[in-house]
Amino acid sequence: MPKLLDLLREGPISINLGLVEFAEALETQKTQVMHVDWTPPPLLDEDTKNILDELL
Amino acid sequence: MKTWQTAVERNRYYDSVFLMAVAHRLSDLEGIEEAAAVMGSPANKEILLGMGVDAASVADASPSDLIIALRGGQETAAGVLQDIEVWLVRPKTALAAATAGSLDEALLRQASSNLAVISVPGEYAAAETEAALDRGMNVFLFSDHVSVEDEVALKKKASEQGLIVMGPDCGTALIGGKGIGFANVVRRGPIGVVAASGTGLQEFTCLVHQSGSGISHGLGTGGRDLSDSVGGLSTLAAIDALEEDPETKVIAIVSKPPGETTLRLISDRLSQCAKPVVACFLGVGASPIEQARFEVCGTIDDAVSAALRLAGRQGRKAEGHDHAQLKALAHDEAGRMAIGQTYVRGLFAGGTFCYQSQSVLRDAGLTLHSNAPLGGVESLRDSAASVGHSLVDMGADEFTVGTPHPMIDATQRAKRIAVEAEDPDVAVLLLDFILGFNSSKDPAGDLADAITSARRTAEAAGRHLCIVASICGTDEDPQGLESQMEVLRDAGAHVFESNVKASSFARDVILQRTNGGE
Repeated sequence: MPKLLDLLREGPISINLGLVEFAEALETQKTQVMHVDWTPPPLLDEDTKNILDELL
Repeated sequence: MKTWQTAVERNRYYDSVFLMAVAHRLSDLEGIEEAAAVMGSPANKEILLGMGVDAASVADASPSDLIIALRGGQETAAGVLQDIEVWLVRPKTALAAATAGSLDEALLRQASSNLAVISVPGEYAAAETEAALDRGMNVFLFSDHVSVEDEVALKKKASEQGLIVMGPDCGTALIGGKGIGFANVVRRGPIGVVAASGTGLQEFTCLVHQSGSGISHGLGTGGRDLSDSVGGLSTLAAIDALEEDPETKVIAIVSKPPGETTLRLISDRLSQCAKPVVACFLGVGASPIEQARFEVCGTIDDAVSAALRLAGRQGRKAEGHDHAQLKALAHDEAGRMAIGQTYVRGLFAGGTFCYQSQSVLRDAGLTLHSNAPLGGVESLRDSAASVGHSLVDMGADEFTVGTPHPMIDATQRAKRIAVEAEDPDVAVLLLDFILGFNSSKDPAGDLADAITSARRTAEAAGRHLCIVASICGTDEDPQGLESQMEVLRDAGAHVFESNVKASSFARDVILQRTNGGE
């Protein structure tokens, strides 16, 4: 069954990345939400990026 | 000449909503003429340079660095920058639940997660969306400035896994009665809706609620989904899901004008749907879809009526707006005006409302101008200066770079209302107000003084300015529908429960002014 149908059947269980206000509004509606304290990924030089790409 | 002074704070990330509020408060300070507070992304630095900020002062700033830029008295600006920490104190979040440091940590702690709500800056949004899809989650993508290529790739990836990407630039969704993003408090019911327009979805769901029925699910797709470059990938996924969903008895689709090829594709799909379907493609005549085996409506109001009928629900009769009374009121309003007052000026927070108002007024034969023109409407050369009958989407990019969207902050609309009120040719000001989660806490109150002042400006010059407002909201929204209407009425506005009704009243007044109502 498509996972979109699971979402409709179960209702949203959310992970919020970005504006905390969105997580607050979800919590106000008594839905399960986990807010991520999001920050931009560190800037990496090309060599480090290539090494990480190979490792991952 | 007053120059810009800047400060760069290394590795200090704040979201754009908070930073816009900081900039707003700083620009209110005496001695400060202009203020900006942004992260040091290439796009933001470009904007700062355009504002006249010295390139060398921000050259080293990275996307993780905060830039504060102030233009004003040298001592004042320097003093503020010296004490900048005071301005960067975040109000305590109302969030009760614990937070996580990353998507993976959040998933470890909440393994049943089925939706990622993403509102990070545009340059990071595609990567975060891909990460969420890779982990088997549906995505509500509020962020904009995602390339079409990325959008298509992400939506194809989602589709292969039976997931959906709602967005980018998706403002609202309602899933199982829960609002995501800018959504209203709407009861559950038999009507499912797919919308490639945020405020269109809000208006549709609010009108269904106010009619006494309800919504099973409302799935946003992002405004670009029905363009030919994206081809309706999320819309098709949403239609498939609503067709399967046992709670949904009728499916409605609401959209700004779709691409020609995509319109045919979606029409073919809807014609095959096992459930009754209502479609409202704003600004599109019936001809491209005349072979369709589903109901086609020209306005959101008509789509709501059709959906209620197909669901076997009788809509509640709207209170207080008898057709004959409205005609008489329009006649009366027009009769109070001075010679030369001819034009309507629409100032919209909701892009869909700007489109729909154009449709209503264009179909009455008026020559219109807009910064977001429908077919048959002239493009407004300068969005900041109205010409003739002008309908302006004040949520468009040219108004929201570095400043909050008018659904959150009314400052720009208040200023524009004052400008329009000075114009002796203006007869009607047409406005929209949008309630719900994450909108301004008091949208009507934010503009009440501006409306009162506009009327007084006109009166002082021997004119009568007719102010027409619509409110998109429900009686269960946090702002309170009735009390918001009351605030606007007290300010002297004629208030309607839908954008179509407000636009129709504005049209009637203007037609009285131009040809006696014929």
